[in-house]
Amino acid sequence: MVYLSDFIINAVIVSALSFLIIFLITPPFIKYLNKKGKTVVDYHKPGKPMIPRPAGPVILIGIVIAEIILYLLILDVKIISLLLTTIIAFFIGYIDDLKTMPGWFKPVTLILAAIPIIVLGSHGNYLGLIFDSAFIPLLYIPLILSMISIVGNTINSIDVFNGVASGFIIITMIPLLVSVLLFGNTNVFLMGLPLFFGVIAIYHYHKFPSKIFLGDSGTLLLGSMYAAISIAGNSEIIGVIALLPAVMNSFLFLSSVKKIVEHRQVKTRPVLLSDDYRLVASKESRAPATLVRLILAKGPLSEKEIINRILILGTFSSILSFISIVIQYSIMKGIISL
Amino acid sequence: MRLFGLFALILIMWSMIMIVSYFLIFIIGPLHINMFNNSTDKLISSIVKASLAIGLVVVLILLLGILKTKYLRKTLLKS
Repeated sequence: MVYLSDFIINAVIVSALSFLIIFLITPPFIKYLNKKGKTVVDYHKPGKPMIPRPAGPVILIGIVIAEIILYLLILDVKIISLLLTTIIAFFIGYIDDLKTMPGWFKPVTLILAAIPIIVLGSHGNYLGLIFDSAFIPLLYIPLILSMISIVGNTINSIDVFNGVASGFIIITMIPLLVSVLLFGNTNVFLMGLPLFFGVIAIYHYHKFPSKIFLGDSGTLLLGSMYAAISIAGNSEIIGVIALLPAVMNSFLFLSSVKKIVEHRQVKTRPVLLSDDYRLVASKESRAPATLVRLILAKGPLSEKEIINRILILGTFSSILSFISIVIQYSIMKGIISL
Repeated sequence: MRLFGLFALILIMWSMIMIVSYFLIFIIGPLHINMFNNSTDKLISSIVKASLAIGLVVVLILLLGILKTKYLRKTLLKS
C-alpha cells in the first residue's frame, strides 16, 4: 500500500518521463529514418509524400525507461511481466516492419507475448463481469493468451489513417485507467500511465498530417500493453467495451474474408481513392467489409473527416465503458442490488 | 446522421456483452450439479459451467455475425 503523496509523486515521475522521452527523441528519430530511407508512401495525400516508419522504437524506449524507474520505486513484479509482454510484441511487429510476413504471423506469435503475464502470475483468478466476478482459474489462461493477440491485432488493423491508432488508444485508455484504479490496484494504474502519456506524446507527430507512422512495431506494442494492463488491472471487459469500434472492424474484416490475411493481401480493396483525394466505399460485393467502408457507405469523405468519425466512435464506446464502470462500482458498493 | 447506424451497432454489441455477463453471473454461476455427493460433483459442475460459458460466447459471436450481415445489406448494398 502506498501513501497518497508517494502515489502522486510516482505518477508524476513516470508520466513525465515517458512523455518527455518520446516527445523529445521522436524528431531526431524522424530525421534518422529519413536519412536511412526508411519511409513509406502516404497514399491518401496529394503528391503521395514519403513518411518515415516505424515509430515503435521511440515509443518502446520511452515506456521501458519509465517502467524501469517505476519498478525501482515500487518493486512490483507485475511491471516486469508487463515490460516483457510489451517488448515481445514490439519485436514481433518490428520483424513485420522489416519483412512482410504471412497473415498468420502476428496473431500466432503474439500468443508468446502473453506468456510473461501467466508465468509471473500478474493475472488474477477472477474475471470481472460487470455484475460480479467469476472464479475461472483454468479458463483464464486461454483467455489471457488470446486477449493479448486479439487486442494487439485489433489496434494494428485500425491503424489505417494518420493518427487513428494513437488517438484511439488515448481515448480508450481513459476509462481503462479509471477502471484499473477502482477495480484493480494503484500499482497497475501507475504502470498504465507511461503508456497513456507516451501515446499522447507520439500522437503529436502521428496525428493528421503524420510526420511519422507507428508501423506494426508501434501498433502491436500499444495494443498488447493495453491488453496487459486490462488483465493485470482486473478490467478486461471494461477494456474490451472501450475498444468496440476496433473490435467491430476486425470482426467485419475477418467474417468477410473468412481467413486470417494481411490487409495488403486482399485483392478487392474495400475503399477507393477518388481524383480529388476523397475516399469512396467500394461497390464490389466481394470487397471486405471494414469500419471505414461502413463510414463511407453514405458518401465520400476526406481522410481528415474519416479520422474524426473513427475517433467519435471511440469516444462513444468509451462513454459506454464509463457507464459499465458506474454499474460495476454501484453493485460493488451495494448502491444498487440485483 | 452518418454515424447513427454505427452508434446503434456499437450499442447493440454493448447490450449483448451486458446480457451475456448477466447470464454468466446470475444463471450459469450459481449452477451446481449433485450426482455423486462427493468432490467429483464440483469438477462436473465446473466443466458444465465452463462449457455453457463458452457456448454462450459462441452464440454471442454468431448473433454478431447475423447482425453484421443484416447491417451490411442495409447500408452497403443499398447504397
